[in-house]
Amino acid sequence: MPLPDLPLRQDEPPTEGGMSRRSFLRTSAVLTTGLAALASSLKPLLELDDYTSVQRFMQKYYKEMTPDDMAKVLKRIEAEVEKQYGVRPHVRDLKPMDGVQFVYCLNLTRCIGCRKCVHACVAENNQSRNPEIQYIRVLRMPHGSLDIDKAEHNYAPPTVPEKGFFYMPVQCQQCKNPPCVKVCPVHATWQETDGITVIDYDWCIGCRYCEAACPYWARRFNFTKPEIPKDRLNPEMAYLGNRPRRQGVMEKCHFCIQRTRAGKMPACHDVCPAGARKFGNVLDPNSEVAYILRTKRVFIQLKEELGTSPRFFYYFDV
Amino acid sequence: MDDRSRNGSSTNHGRTALVLWGLVVTFAALAVFFVLSPWRHGPLLQPIAPVDRSFLDPAPNRRAYPDLVKAKDEDALSDFDCYACHEKGKPPTLRYDEHQRLIVPKEHSDIVMGHGEQGRNNNCFNCHDENNLTLLQARDGRTVKFQDSPQLCGSCHGPTYEDWEVGAHGRISGYWDAALGPRTRLLCVNCHNPHAPTFQGRQPAPGPHLLHGDLPPPAAASAP
Repeated sequence: MPLPDLPLRQDEPPTEGGMSRRSFLRTSAVLTTGLAALASSLKPLLELDDYTSVQRFMQKYYKEMTPDDMAKVLKRIEAEVEKQYGVRPHVRDLKPMDGVQFVYCLNLTRCIGCRKCVHACVAENNQSRNPEIQYIRVLRMPHGSLDIDKAEHNYAPPTVPEKGFFYMPVQCQQCKNPPCVKVCPVHATWQETDGITVIDYDWCIGCRYCEAACPYWARRFNFTKPEIPKDRLNPEMAYLGNRPRRQGVMEKCHFCIQRTRAGKMPACHDVCPAGARKFGNVLDPNSEVAYILRTKRVFIQLKEELGTSPRFFYYFDV
Repeated sequence: MDDRSRNGSSTNHGRTALVLWGLVVTFAALAVFFVLSPWRHGPLLQPIAPVDRSFLDPAPNRRAYPDLVKAKDEDALSDFDCYACHEKGKPPTLRYDEHQRLIVPKEHSDIVMGHGEQGRNNNCFNCHDENNLTLLQARDGRTVKFQDSPQLCGSCHGPTYEDWEVGAHGRISGYWDAALGPRTRLLCVNCHNPHAPTFQGRQPAPGPHLLHGDLPPPAAASAP
């Protein structure tokens, strides 16, 4: 940084070393200040602990990975999670089962609006607690209409259900014709053969096109690094499911892939105190969901007119 | 600056030095400002208390008779030991007040009667067997054991019972296919109190929090 002493060169003859004492002092003062400013501006880098590792940067596309590649990736994720949260997780890559198409049915007559599903989902799927990311939004609507404009999700009465209202939990509808998948510029989200639309969090670039395309507001963006208390981390994880996300990627309901592809019911289903949620394989004629779609008199798909063809059905008793 | 005074005139060099020094001082001041940031804003995110674990509990609302037997809960099971107090072979008499409401004896004061619209199902022996209090009795005369209570409920609530048998009413937790793992089917009395089956109101779990502090809760619900 020799600039500041330029004007002095004429009137101050350089000493034998080629630099006068004054210009040396000036240059070094400026240099020190400049370096200090640079160092302070780089200070946030010290706090960065989830920078892209070489392995993640070199990682292949999910569908192109061999089982060996995937084993390495799972090992890397386990190590990363252990480093960040101090809990050794069990991460698996569960594949869709043959002859299985998942369908969700929700009984609007039974839902009491207690929001237990919302929080069971957060606990199961390692969503950020602050800022809060929730996959399920429970809408309260007045009886006699199904008007989302009149819906309220901030309701906080002392007890639910309230007279004159019904409750409608909305989450990812796992569309058969998903608009979010169409808009993804990097193919980081796609529909699997069992009907679940998944996201590869390592491939997502965080452009949020899918969030804009989704008519159900089902997709959530990680504006910050997710904050999960250590004692609330669910160590049973899946690659396409509930492994902790990074800052700057999308996430959404995936029908608890880590549970459902292992045969278990989703967390929101098992916690429902009213039995309003029904989940299962629609291709199995003996399943509850097949029975409901066959026999219940009324069922709707939310925003049916958009042609997204959700795999999430709302129905009524009686 | 000194070089300007020494030359006695404002040279180009002098001006350049002035500007450069000015820049250096500005940047240095900015650097100090950024490091100290005296007008630091508060934390961007409001703290959010972790949700109470009771909202994450998948346990059903109530424990049914088979659960009590399984848990060997002697205290709760003593309620089913009818002939500790009642006399065998002598059906208990029921008393009603002037509005035909059942007067619940003080020994059974934990029972709130509220079955049927306006509590019309107010006869203990509509469901209990008066000749053997350790059994239940359906209206067609069948006797039903306490652990098989859904059959009794189904004798009046047929369509609901059909739904329950298939799994469309109530909850079957565990695995979504019996071939993959065990399925736990809840009984009617796991969710409904048989003496007052309508769901009681419960406290809802906290609603969604906004990123930068919450809005005041909406005005009290008013039915349309």
